[in-house]
Amino acid sequence: MNKDHRTDLSDVLRPKNVGAAMKRTEDPRLLTGFGEYTADRKPDQALHMAFLRSAQSHARIARVDTSAALEAPGVVAVLTAEGIAGDFKPVIPFSRMANYYATPILPLASGKVRHVGEAIAAVIATSRYLAEDALELIEVDYERLQPVAHAEAAVTEDAALLHEEAGTNVLVAREFKQGNVAADLAAAAVRVGGRFEMTRKAALAMEPRSYSAEYDKRRDALTLYTSSNIPGIVRDAISESLSLPGHRLRVVAPDVGGSFGSKGSLYPEELLICIAARKLRRSIKWTADRLEDVSSSSQAFAEIVDAEMGFDEHGIATSLQADVIGDVGAFSIYPWTCGLEPVQVVSFLPGPYKIRSYRGAVRGVATCKPPTGPYRGVGRPISTFVCERLMDMGARALKIDPLEIRRRNLVRAEEFPYRIASGIIWDRTGFIDCLEAAAEAAGYDQLRKQQSEVRKRGRLFGIGIASYAELTGIGSRIAVAPGMPINTGSETAKITIDSTGGITAAFGVASHGQGLETTLAQIIADDLGACFEDIRVIQGDSDEVPMSTGTYASRSAVLGGGAAKHASEILKGKIKRVASHLLEANADDLEVSQGKVAVLGTDRTVSFKQIAKAVYSDMKTLPVDAREELTASYTYDPINGTTAAATHIAAVEVDPATCFVKIHKFVVAEDCGRIINPMIVDGQVHGGVAQGIGAALFEELIYDDDGQLLSASLVDYVIPSAPEVPIMEVVHVESESAVSGGFRGMGEGGTIGAPAAIANAIADALSPLDIDVSVLPMTPERIFRLIQNAKHRAKEKS
Amino acid sequence: MKPTKFDYVSPSTVEAVIEALVASNGDGKLLAGGQSLLPLLNFRMARPSVLIDLNRIEGLSYIKDRGDRIAIGALTRHRDIELSPLIASKLPVMSAAMRHVAHLAIRNRGTIGGSLSHADPAAELPMLAVFYDATVLIRGPHGLRMVAAEEFFVDALTSCLKPDEIVVEVEFPVLDHGGWAFEEIARRFGDFALASIALSVRRTGGGLEGARIAVMGVADTPVRLKQAERELVALPLDEQAPELCSEIIASKVSPNDDLHASGEYRMHLLKHLSRRALRTALASTDQTA
Repeated sequence: MNKDHRTDLSDVLRPKNVGAAMKRTEDPRLLTGFGEYTADRKPDQALHMAFLRSAQSHARIARVDTSAALEAPGVVAVLTAEGIAGDFKPVIPFSRMANYYATPILPLASGKVRHVGEAIAAVIATSRYLAEDALELIEVDYERLQPVAHAEAAVTEDAALLHEEAGTNVLVAREFKQGNVAADLAAAAVRVGGRFEMTRKAALAMEPRSYSAEYDKRRDALTLYTSSNIPGIVRDAISESLSLPGHRLRVVAPDVGGSFGSKGSLYPEELLICIAARKLRRSIKWTADRLEDVSSSSQAFAEIVDAEMGFDEHGIATSLQADVIGDVGAFSIYPWTCGLEPVQVVSFLPGPYKIRSYRGAVRGVATCKPPTGPYRGVGRPISTFVCERLMDMGARALKIDPLEIRRRNLVRAEEFPYRIASGIIWDRTGFIDCLEAAAEAAGYDQLRKQQSEVRKRGRLFGIGIASYAELTGIGSRIAVAPGMPINTGSETAKITIDSTGGITAAFGVASHGQGLETTLAQIIADDLGACFEDIRVIQGDSDEVPMSTGTYASRSAVLGGGAAKHASEILKGKIKRVASHLLEANADDLEVSQGKVAVLGTDRTVSFKQIAKAVYSDMKTLPVDAREELTASYTYDPINGTTAAATHIAAVEVDPATCFVKIHKFVVAEDCGRIINPMIVDGQVHGGVAQGIGAALFEELIYDDDGQLLSASLVDYVIPSAPEVPIMEVVHVESESAVSGGFRGMGEGGTIGAPAAIANAIADALSPLDIDVSVLPMTPERIFRLIQNAKHRAKEKS
Repeated sequence: MKPTKFDYVSPSTVEAVIEALVASNGDGKLLAGGQSLLPLLNFRMARPSVLIDLNRIEGLSYIKDRGDRIAIGALTRHRDIELSPLIASKLPVMSAAMRHVAHLAIRNRGTIGGSLSHADPAAELPMLAVFYDATVLIRGPHGLRMVAAEEFFVDALTSCLKPDEIVVEVEFPVLDHGGWAFEEIARRFGDFALASIALSVRRTGGGLEGARIAVMGVADTPVRLKQAERELVALPLDEQAPELCSEIIASKVSPNDDLHASGEYRMHLLKHLSRRALRTALASTDQTA
């Protein structure tokens, strides 16, 4: 049972560390080049792996001849699907979802290839150079099959099947329903709708995927260093696949240079490198180059949404329906399944609004592209884009201001907990507070005045609002991915004071840029009464806690933080009991702070170091039964989790001459509950919005009709750089959540709100030309086309 | 993404470079700033048997005032050209264009000889060479030869350099322009241009007596639009001039579609830049007049 309770915000005695903008513990090492990433590992006499990747998008593999490669200098082994068949059990991304077909995770393509970039063979050699030389000597004969490049074509009857055993290219199908949508739409005063699309995107973490499988001959044991944000899940999956128990398989995520979801699934290469290290009894390294990373790591979005919303004459949204087709790529991902991204689109589509009837249907369709997978915001960037466009279209049709229409439809403070039409329950969160705070910070009324002024001079100036809510820190009652059989709802903290007085706190979370070493230490410092600097946080290491998963789904501050609080409390009890012996005082009269225990109202104190000595080393001071080991472990489960929300407002201008979009203003008002570290929260928002700008204006993986990736380099895959990211204003609405500590998750939100806000702002800017924005990214080319088409339309009319 | 095996030499004289090129039997590659070559090597799109590093050669990095001509040594870094007061006063169009050349880190390494030899149709220096009617000095086993910039660029990523030749200097005539403009639009600052134009005019009385126009990114090589120059000179300088100028330029090029922009959009951008360029150029003659 969790003893969670809400702390009153009026509590003026703010703790010392939580809430302070403390500099990140991680930064000195990361900024001075002393971080240790997976590629920095130097295992003894390591071998290097390189992959032969498919140049075909869909083909039967008729023959693979590795004989010449095997003879090449430095080559130790060449692996193909055939050669490793007996060395592992396939990993299946299982789910209890109906209408779901699970494709297995295969370390190397077997029988056929299903996307360009799929690994067919691996060369293991004494250097990466020699391994790549040998790759050129492998001969593959392909029998070309019909490419399945577009999701909408893949569901037609004459489309080739990517997975013949499935009998269809639709790998997952679901429908959510509440109320009578057809009747409500028919009765609506205004109906708005359209066909919306967010194209395929790369996560593009700065550090590409990297693995180092280090073999220990003495124990026939393996340590996998991996640039993963789910080392615990990877450990459990590989353990099962290789029949290697956890005491002989350690998985460590050392410093990890970003993931944004792309390092949050088990990868074929990750499985293969372990198979190979065990088979060869050697340590092996592999780091993806940028091309490999872009063409084989999980990708984002790729969804088309046909949606319609009905409003009554007062601007109340009454009904919403949507048909979503998700281009999920060639395979399901482990453990989240190919349902993760597209199904979330329909689960979250009603957003923070009280829409009484809803129908959302989704199909996840296999195509010959790399799989889509978790990407910062999962499903919600596009569900928010669609819902917020519909809100604005409704506002325009009814001549209601976009800010006002949201006021009328958002769930209000007194209505929480609120179950939206798709079934998700929002707990008490500052939806309206965020909307009003963002409007105030943006100077909304002034912006509208400015807009009407500049419009008179023909300038295309627009204002866009996007409100959204998300589930964060979810506990065991809700699966992160639908129907998934693994537990992602709890997190363990194990805090130990050793014989020197040093404090080590171990977690199963796996920070890959979130600064958890800092924020978790802030929480422990307050709740244990320790000095911040005395606490070392260990995370991302499967040996440190019995079960862990990692850091994803905006969970670590809520779950890790909750576990830290509870474990701190238990350990503080032990400290007090020992101190009461040493200080000859009642435990109730003791105060623990700054690594010392003091008798209230006196100058008598004892330090953690003295307490540790008394417990572990000095065998005279304490009676035997009072020498409690100074350690505490707690596994925290918030059961349901908590909501986080924000409103983003963007003011943009479209230059009709260049068709470029300039962002003049960007404001975020967000509610992430009690803030642990405002500097880190700001950083998360800034980074998230920057990625959202990428999704809104720049980033696009372009595949041609043959399934070939055309934008595979950073010359062609354009991401926002510093000049394209505006100064942002971030307002914090700190309404405490009901979970331990009052925290809410906030790692993803920036990416959820920004695309929708920018899309609405561009649509508003282009509204004098009667242009709708329904595809992201809104590249200059797309804006050029829209303006040209509008000109043609206007000409035809006149 | 590792290069194939290659030998590496770093001669200290141009003669030794040519010897190494000859010895390589057409299989050698010259390494100057390496900003285009190294990615090509890593992608294994270039597979030279020997990499001949030019960076130990002294005396190939200079900007010299030769009165009516400015000579730039092949190993001169972009950044040195960008910051040169001599370039700013004698070759102002080049000076203005240099800040559009990629990013600072790349400009610190990249060289004029390397950029010209690479012959990217969307790179600024090849376009400037064409605009200025520069002369490229080439050394080979049979001595020096001089090639006009327009003949130097043969096709996309292809120059007239023979496998055993090296660019040693580029000589730019100092133009007697009254007004000029350099305009460029790229997706992000430092990216390859979606459209770009260099334009200069010489005014006389109510009209023009001379004009020079070069564009890039609209064909397989940078191009000087000589016919457009003549038509522009014939234009009356009224308020219609920028629009007509853009029409003239547009009628001379037909940009292709690519991943970043359709030909139609590039044309739209080029016309916009042409109008702006003429206005800027005319305004700057007003100032000097």
